[in-house]
Amino acid sequence: MGSRVTFFEVEILDWKTKQQLCFLDKVEPHATISDIRLMFHKSYPQWYPARQSIRLDPKGKSLRDEEILQHLPVGTTATLYFKDLGPQIGWTMVFLTEYAGPLFIYFLFYFRMPFVYGLDDKLTSSPHPVVNLACICHSFHYIKRLIETIFVHRFSHGTMPLRSIIKNCFYYWGFAAWLAYYINHPLYTPPSYGQKQINFAVIMFLICEAGNFSIHVALSDLRRDGSKIRKIPYPTKNPFTWLFFFVTCPNYTYEVGAWISFTIMTQCVPVGLFTFLCFIQMTVWAKDKHYTYVREFKDYPSLRMPIIPFLL
Amino acid sequence: MAAPGSGGAGRAENGYGSQRRKGPGALATTYLVIYNVVMTAGWLVIAVGIVRAYLTKGSYHSLYYSIEKPLKFFQTGALLEILHCAFGIVPSSVVLTAFQVMSRVFLTWAVTHSVKEVQNEDSVLLFVVAWTITEIIRYSFYTFSLLNHLPYLIKWARYTLFIVLYPMGVSGELLTIYAALPFVRQAGLYSISLPNKYNFSFDYYTFLILVMISYIPTF
Repeated sequence: MGSRVTFFEVEILDWKTKQQLCFLDKVEPHATISDIRLMFHKSYPQWYPARQSIRLDPKGKSLRDEEILQHLPVGTTATLYFKDLGPQIGWTMVFLTEYAGPLFIYFLFYFRMPFVYGLDDKLTSSPHPVVNLACICHSFHYIKRLIETIFVHRFSHGTMPLRSIIKNCFYYWGFAAWLAYYINHPLYTPPSYGQKQINFAVIMFLICEAGNFSIHVALSDLRRDGSKIRKIPYPTKNPFTWLFFFVTCPNYTYEVGAWISFTIMTQCVPVGLFTFLCFIQMTVWAKDKHYTYVREFKDYPSLRMPIIPFLL
Repeated sequence: MAAPGSGGAGRAENGYGSQRRKGPGALATTYLVIYNVVMTAGWLVIAVGIVRAYLTKGSYHSLYYSIEKPLKFFQTGALLEILHCAFGIVPSSVVLTAFQVMSRVFLTWAVTHSVKEVQNEDSVLLFVVAWTITEIIRYSFYTFSLLNHLPYLIKWARYTLFIVLYPMGVSGELLTIYAALPFVRQAGLYSISLPNKYNFSFDYYTFLILVMISYIPTF
């Protein structure tokens, strides 16, 4: 390497007003955008790095933390633009809030808190075993999700806008309350085909939960080295991961399967409706992910569909 | 409609392509002109029907029955406008259009048609007249715009008369829903209660009250 280091100068302008917000001199050429975010944060403590969108053009895409200053198409005096993304919340916090809510809300209905079904039925319990089973399954589902959030998932983007979490919580918590209301209602009617239906549903539920967990572990292992680069996931020795032969997002496939089994187990229209909406949302996410992979990798397996083998 | 089907099929596969184009193509424009002319004519038929019924009966009560069929036909036909947005031949938001059309269709079928006892109410006449005048102006506005020859009068009428027509329509709609409530309660219309094997309940009475409340944000 040369014996002289050419330092960069970096000016950061507001994306809308073009006003100079910050001028950094003597910036190392191998400094990353992450370093620049930290420097900017020093001048503006209220704009922590996660809420800074730094871009080359006022309306351009946000630069990633790993980008290196001297590799960017800038001269030794770099002009960057800043946009405030608003308050951010980390993915971990998001998931913990979104999942803890339904877990506890369901219990309010299961234990028949007085304000839910009226004082006559307060704190009573259901005579139907399937209602207890449903509570176990529902709780298991969300506890598993909480554990995965803490121990398994590795997130590529650190944060999401705070506003989204309010909207998401209304949706998840609201639906949890709605379906818990009917399943734990004193006038609940058990499934029409009785124990056969319930047994089938339980087996399907367990298979899907195991499958979903297997996929999450497999995806997490792709990033064991801490990298944020996208890699194609492949089936492993675990038979549950063999769904990767056929779909891009088997985690979503299993998730929908779990909710379908819960619908069969409880024979409850609100659960069915929630399942349907989950299916639509996850199909959108799966298609998105699928086409991202297809664009990025020329050798992406052509047999794979986004979420349902051969169909969707 | 076969003609737009063939043009529409190409458009459906390439929905994004047509949005990037500057407005609808010649085929789509022809279809839209025909659509808007037909709708203008339809609502004129309703307008004439109301006037004739009024002159025949000598009073403005219970005029709904005279225009019931064309009202249902042409108001329901407006559902096509959702498809126009979806296929990109009309530059409006699908969601917004769907919302507006569905609320009209809801009032026509799920309230006025379903609850026969309110069909005699004067509030029905109130919103039918408001809708009729509004739609005649609106569809002729679109017709002339598509032909690039919009008379100032139509433009004026559209943006000025709504000041009267909109509150008139909303009042008529709200009063009609309100009038329907006791009959819905009595008949248990469109409602299902526990216990049942679907483990689901729905109270149409409460739903209608929520619908009435939802009018408030639109003010």
